[in-house]
Amino acid sequence: MTHLPYIVAAYGLTLGVAAILSVNATIRLRQARKRLAAIEQPGRTRRPS
Amino acid sequence: MTRKSRRLWLVVACMIGLGSAAALTLNAFSSNIVFFMAPSQVHKKPPPADRTIRLGGMVVAGSVHREKVKDTPVAIFDVTDGQDAVTVRYEGILPDLFREGQSVVAVGTVNPDGTFRASEVLAKHDETYMPKEVAEELRRSGKWDPRFGKAPDATSWNTMTATDTAKKPATQTPDGN
Amino acid sequence: MNATQSLTARTGNLFHRYANPGRFLRMGAKLQPWLTWPALALSAAGIVCGLFFSPADWQQGDSVRIMYVHVPTAWLASSGYMALAVCSLLSLVWRHPLADLAAVEIGPVGAAITAVCLATGSLWGKPMWGTWWVWDARLTSVLVLFFLYLGHIALIRAFDEPQRGYRAAAILGLAGAIDLPIIKFSVQWWNTLHQPDSITVTGAPTMSTSMLWPLGLTTLGFTLGFGAIVLARLRASVMESRIRTILAASRGRQSAQTNPQTDSAAV
Repeated sequence: MTHLPYIVAAYGLTLGVAAILSVNATIRLRQARKRLAAIEQPGRTRRPS
Repeated sequence: MTRKSRRLWLVVACMIGLGSAAALTLNAFSSNIVFFMAPSQVHKKPPPADRTIRLGGMVVAGSVHREKVKDTPVAIFDVTDGQDAVTVRYEGILPDLFREGQSVVAVGTVNPDGTFRASEVLAKHDETYMPKEVAEELRRSGKWDPRFGKAPDATSWNTMTATDTAKKPATQTPDGN
Repeated sequence: MNATQSLTARTGNLFHRYANPGRFLRMGAKLQPWLTWPALALSAAGIVCGLFFSPADWQQGDSVRIMYVHVPTAWLASSGYMALAVCSLLSLVWRHPLADLAAVEIGPVGAAITAVCLATGSLWGKPMWGTWWVWDARLTSVLVLFFLYLGHIALIRAFDEPQRGYRAAAILGLAGAIDLPIIKFSVQWWNTLHQPDSITVTGAPTMSTSMLWPLGLTTLGFTLGFGAIVLARLRASVMESRIRTILAASRGRQSAQTNPQTDSAAV
């Protein structure tokens, strides 16, 4: 391939940023769900989300 | 009027005001926003000799002369916008995309004799994207010469290279380079 | 005025149906897999196709493959801001609580995508144009968009009282939408070093079909991915605000238990 360093850098950067955003969102969602489940009282009728 | 629709109209009015302000400003500064001047503009209104300008246009086919002065490559070529042409002299390495018929932008100053002394040459590629095989086919069959202008529409490539594509499907070949 | 009144009222009702956090969380949980998995599949297919199975350009060589990540991020930078502007409108006119939370979450994702767009453009410009950066109208207007995102991120978090931050950021979000048509038409209105659009609504694309395919795949995949990330963040944000409400309420109950004169029926 011609211009290989530029192509690798462009794809690496894009995938890297996408991975950071996705992992961050996943962890945040998982933690929020866990905390919410822990503090929502079982007596109250609220649907689990 | 409810408060909601009052807010809506307020927002709409603000956006119209802001939009027209932006449009007027851009219109006023239009000549400064332009990234480069065309050769005919340079001829009509030559800028002062000490002012750095950007000259944009197409490299005239057959006008490129390359030489070497003490290890630095020197290129002399004409840039045209279809009406006028300006001769550009540039010392240094030209970008990969530089070729006859390519659009370029040269940064530099106008000499008293009307020639242009470039300190930097940028290649400007157009919006056409074409596989190598198609380009070669069009060139070989004489349908298009890249030195003399823009490539034909993508929709017309199939009919233009139809004689060959009937024998071998050239469009979807995996990259063999 | 009667017509607009009923229009604002009706649209307001429509939006507010989805303002209920419980309903939003249920719908969001259902929608999430439909965004996440197609996004991953389409992006992967597009990238593999673009890197290995699409042809090199006749004059740009293989560097044309940068297009398959640059163009989708450019499209998302603009459409992400469009989404931000819509949220701003919903926030300013209808005081929609979910729109405020969405604006908070779209900002950082949009800014990251815009940064990727600028960086990949730079990585493409160096070998092709011969320069990393020029101050032409297209590049400059996208840089302005990046700063608008940064300003929005800062402004919406700048106040102790969140509501004031939401209002201020919504005004910035709407005003900044002026930049979107400037970005779109910069390559037509002024001569720029950046090329004009290869794909337009009116004309035929000036691109080979073998290159359009991977581009379409990555564009669709990245767009769904953007939606998936924003939705996940928004769901987390709604859960977090619910956690805060419950904690505040239970603190209220505890203080009520310590002095039984106040309402003890809350338990």
